[in-house]
Amino acid sequence: MIEYLIDGPLWYFSLAVFVIGVVWQLVSIVFASRKQDLSVARDSATSGAIRTIFTRFVPHKEISSQITIQVVAGYLFHLGLFALLFFAAPHVVFLEHNLLGFGWTPMPHWAFIVSAQAAFLGLIFLWLRRMVNPVSRLISTLDDHVAAILTFVVMLTGCFALLEGSTGLRLLHRFSVELWLIYFPFSALMHTFTFIPSRAFTGAWFGRRGIDA
Amino acid sequence: MKIQTLLLLVGLLLPQLALADGPPEQKNFPQGVSTERLGDELWREVRQRDMQSSGISQVKGVDSGILINARGDQWARFRMDQLSTFGGIGIAAIFAIIVLFYVVRGRVPIEGGLSGNMVHRFTDYERVVHWTLAIVFLFLAITGLILLLGRPLLLPLFGKEVFSILASASKEGHNLFGPLFLVSLIMMLISFARRNLYERGDMTWLLKGGGLIGDGHASGGFFNMGEKTWYWMVILIGLVIAISGLILVSPNFGQGRLIMGLSHVVHTIGAIILIAVSIGHMYLGSIGSEGALEGMKTGYVDINWADAHHDRWGKVCHEENLIIPAEEYARLQGQKPGSTDEMATAEQGK
Repeated sequence: MIEYLIDGPLWYFSLAVFVIGVVWQLVSIVFASRKQDLSVARDSATSGAIRTIFTRFVPHKEISSQITIQVVAGYLFHLGLFALLFFAAPHVVFLEHNLLGFGWTPMPHWAFIVSAQAAFLGLIFLWLRRMVNPVSRLISTLDDHVAAILTFVVMLTGCFALLEGSTGLRLLHRFSVELWLIYFPFSALMHTFTFIPSRAFTGAWFGRRGIDA
Repeated sequence: MKIQTLLLLVGLLLPQLALADGPPEQKNFPQGVSTERLGDELWREVRQRDMQSSGISQVKGVDSGILINARGDQWARFRMDQLSTFGGIGIAAIFAIIVLFYVVRGRVPIEGGLSGNMVHRFTDYERVVHWTLAIVFLFLAITGLILLLGRPLLLPLFGKEVFSILASASKEGHNLFGPLFLVSLIMMLISFARRNLYERGDMTWLLKGGGLIGDGHASGGFFNMGEKTWYWMVILIGLVIAISGLILVSPNFGQGRLIMGLSHVVHTIGAIILIAVSIGHMYLGSIGSEGALEGMKTGYVDINWADAHHDRWGKVCHEENLIIPAEEYARLQGQKPGSTDEMATAEQGK
């Protein structure tokens, strides 16, 4: 019964909430009403937007030494999670059979292990830094902690189910993924998609005013 | 021709007749393998020889010529009978002693109570490194203990189905998190090694049992002798655990069964020692000693705590005027002056 629920209705429900929720949020952002900018353009807003999307991948020189932990841990976590999500052999097979109808070459097992370890170390570092730094702790909300913990649980149950020999562990991982998908559109996890329009908006605003930032 | 055929038949049948009608006593061949109850005797000889018997196999690899590894059986018995039994008893005994100590002695208070005036002790990075190591260590300790003690302790409680899931999850989690322990350990070594070098005055702390023996105060620097010893235990035993763990988790670098068995024993004994001592560390760093947790929680400690437990470092803080008043500390923590836990406790102390 539980197996049927997790593999069937709950999976489709969580997927629907995720897709509809993400699309709804992005459409809301794109079509949000904004004040018309009446200032005389000093430079191109478009080039400013494109430039900022990419330059923000590297920290500013002035503060880079102060945020080394966040930058290194951030890259470890995000690149590790990306590799796990799209190149782990079980995920490639799952996406091929259940969603896309086509697959691609998965990464070897050793790369899977290294990616998982990088992602875990990065996430633990980021969350601890959020907890120990007084400023980060003050500006963190309950949502930030729930999102981090839920992501950690998804990764942990995935690592538990690595052998693919236990139905119980597979269901536990899938159930945690379903909770994560349902939570995703209403949380800080949306930065997966919103970081691009967010950077573009800031870049366009600066670009139009001729600010090099 | 007929005679030759008859002799051949007799020659072929004689051994069979001898086997069928022979006396019940054992027949030993020169090679030392009995033919009585052929299967049992043969396998017993293969398994229980004093020396390791190696043969020839088409399979090329480490130990591939060994049919049955008798030492593997010894290792399995040692693991089941001694390692898990005494390891479990050892950890339980340490836990019981600490509970008893807390019941008898209670929380060790700071003489004069907390002042609310703080000194900076650890940076954000140092605390992140400490807690990363702590989280990874606890995860590995729990999963490792499930693997070591799960069969006698958890199997009767949860049943085979649940325990198999738990054991499988623990094995995968333990193997995946193991290398993270080594990474955290190296970061710990780099961040804290210099301040944990032994110096003059540390032996006095040890002779006074950290203040438990006699009435005199046990003098300590930034880290006292007990903390330094715990630190080097973590680094050195931790490295032994990590390296033996890597030998176990990567059995494709030419290591044979003997090295694997030894690595497992070393890994487990080292882990049991660290887990047992870490219970004491966790106790003293939290409920056992007033004001101790603040250092790793906020990065700051009360100056009275520094004077009580690390007087030589406390003296430097006084001399160099490193003390931060309570109001300033509250501002640094983003709190309204007078609202910190330390202030409340300090008021209670007065």
